[in-house]
Amino acid sequence: MLGFLYLLIVGTAMAPFLLWPRTRPGALAALASGARRLAGLDRARRFVFFGDRFPEHYKSSDQKVLRYLAIRSYTGMLCTIVVGLLGFGVILAAVLAMRLLQGRLDLQELLTQALLGGVLLFLDVQGIYSLAVLDARLARECFGPSERELLRQRIDELATSRAAVLQAVDAERRRIERDLHDGIQQRLVALAMLLGRARRSRGRNPEQVDALLHQAHQESQEVITELREATWRIYPSALDSLGLKEALSGVSERCSLPIRMDFEVDRVLPQTVETAAYFVVSECVTNAAKHSGATAITIRLALHGAVLVVRVEDNGTGGADPSGSGLTGLRSRVSALDGLLHIDSPLGGPTTITAELPCA
Amino acid sequence: MRVILAEDSTLLREGLVRLLVEEGHEVVAAVGDAVSLMKEVEERMPDMVVVDIRMPPTHTDDGLRAALEIRKRWPQISLLVLSQHVERNYAAQLLASNAERVGYLLKDRVAQVEEFLDALERIHAGGAAIDPEVVRQLVIRTTHGDPLARLTPRERSVLETLAQGHTNTAIAQKLHISLSSVEKNLNTIFDKLDLSHTAGYSRRILAVLRYLES
Repeated sequence: MLGFLYLLIVGTAMAPFLLWPRTRPGALAALASGARRLAGLDRARRFVFFGDRFPEHYKSSDQKVLRYLAIRSYTGMLCTIVVGLLGFGVILAAVLAMRLLQGRLDLQELLTQALLGGVLLFLDVQGIYSLAVLDARLARECFGPSERELLRQRIDELATSRAAVLQAVDAERRRIERDLHDGIQQRLVALAMLLGRARRSRGRNPEQVDALLHQAHQESQEVITELREATWRIYPSALDSLGLKEALSGVSERCSLPIRMDFEVDRVLPQTVETAAYFVVSECVTNAAKHSGATAITIRLALHGAVLVVRVEDNGTGGADPSGSGLTGLRSRVSALDGLLHIDSPLGGPTTITAELPCA
Repeated sequence: MRVILAEDSTLLREGLVRLLVEEGHEVVAAVGDAVSLMKEVEERMPDMVVVDIRMPPTHTDDGLRAALEIRKRWPQISLLVLSQHVERNYAAQLLASNAERVGYLLKDRVAQVEEFLDALERIHAGGAAIDPEVVRQLVIRTTHGDPLARLTPRERSVLETLAQGHTNTAIAQKLHISLSSVEKNLNTIFDKLDLSHTAGYSRRILAVLRYLES
């Protein structure tokens, strides 16, 4: 009612200003600030009577507040009418009861009246219920993120993480291609060249053949080692056969720095979580060994409720770049599982990287 | 001949240097990126440059761009470009201006030592060397209505061998046919492909390649 009067009186008073483009913004703001105050009252009402808790710092737009007030005025008046009708119905029922007691009512009329009254009562209660639901929904739309907004946020989040996952996959493929091309392929070509030279030397320089064959043999051993390491970098098969703990000890064995590992996970984790945790650790360890100048690394994995927290700390010089390709890839991997990655790497160190991975 | 090598893999670079030295060539410089290549070429003026397409700084086509630049500034230097994969586009760029003293080989061809050395010699002698794989892929693209589809299998193999940069004599040897039969085949091929009879076989390769590109 208050809202209706406000809109009616202030709105009418302001109408000329609202219509004139030059004063429109000012008039709108004035109108809205009043509306906001009234809406605040309404918000308090929702809290007191219905226990609604709205986000503290949610600020809705002026347009939204005005719209809310307009609709709310309308529903408020409608509500008054519906409740009024209920009162009227009660009075009618009382009159009917009086007549029944005084015996001035035959059976047929009683049945008709009761049936009619029952239907009207049902419609009225239905109206009250619907209005209550509408009121709650309106309040949610104005005072807090509505369901639609929450959904939209979630969709945005998912679209972003999906795109990031694709990028991460491509980056990974690029890395694998580079690995194969720069390492193994060059070695194999060099090996074939050694053998080719050995064959050519047979006629011209027989004592060189032995030396070349010996070199070729060594080269082939190195290709095998390189291939084994490359396949491990692509996917550590120990993860599937031996589990996360064993795969992680493989990481620390291959690392040149001393690593202290606390593994406090007492139950089996989902495969995707294990894989993500493995790559977080191996990427961070590689970075620390390559770029940070660290002398020691501490790794800690622990379950906090249904969340696996992976924490990798080094005592290096810090300054890790969160937008670097490795860390970006990790972030995508973690956020694809609805997890969080925190990178704390001030210049001068130390660097702490924490991943929180939900296991549900 | 005096050769400059540009290849970013140290291992392969060393191997190539050894191979060329064993064959009696002089390797005046061996570098690992396109920038140093340009510097060395300018300073030492080699007879031949062997360059890998994919090199630092960007690891894309730095080597090819360097090769095109060398061709523009010092057309007398022979060029052999090594490519990771068959890229018709690269081959076309390289052969577009002038198909003399130029070669485009798959990098793995280096492993076939004899073929590689043979290609070097052919290029140095003023010819061209196109990787058989490149030619094969060009010839495979025969769609309906493609004039190539009108060639007999024999003519097709003659064209492939020709496009690799071999002389008529070499074609005859490779395919075990007489020299006159090669010449007859070539005439039929050029008739079928509506190519004018131009002298100088590198121009013929160019014509063929360009035709296949179209």
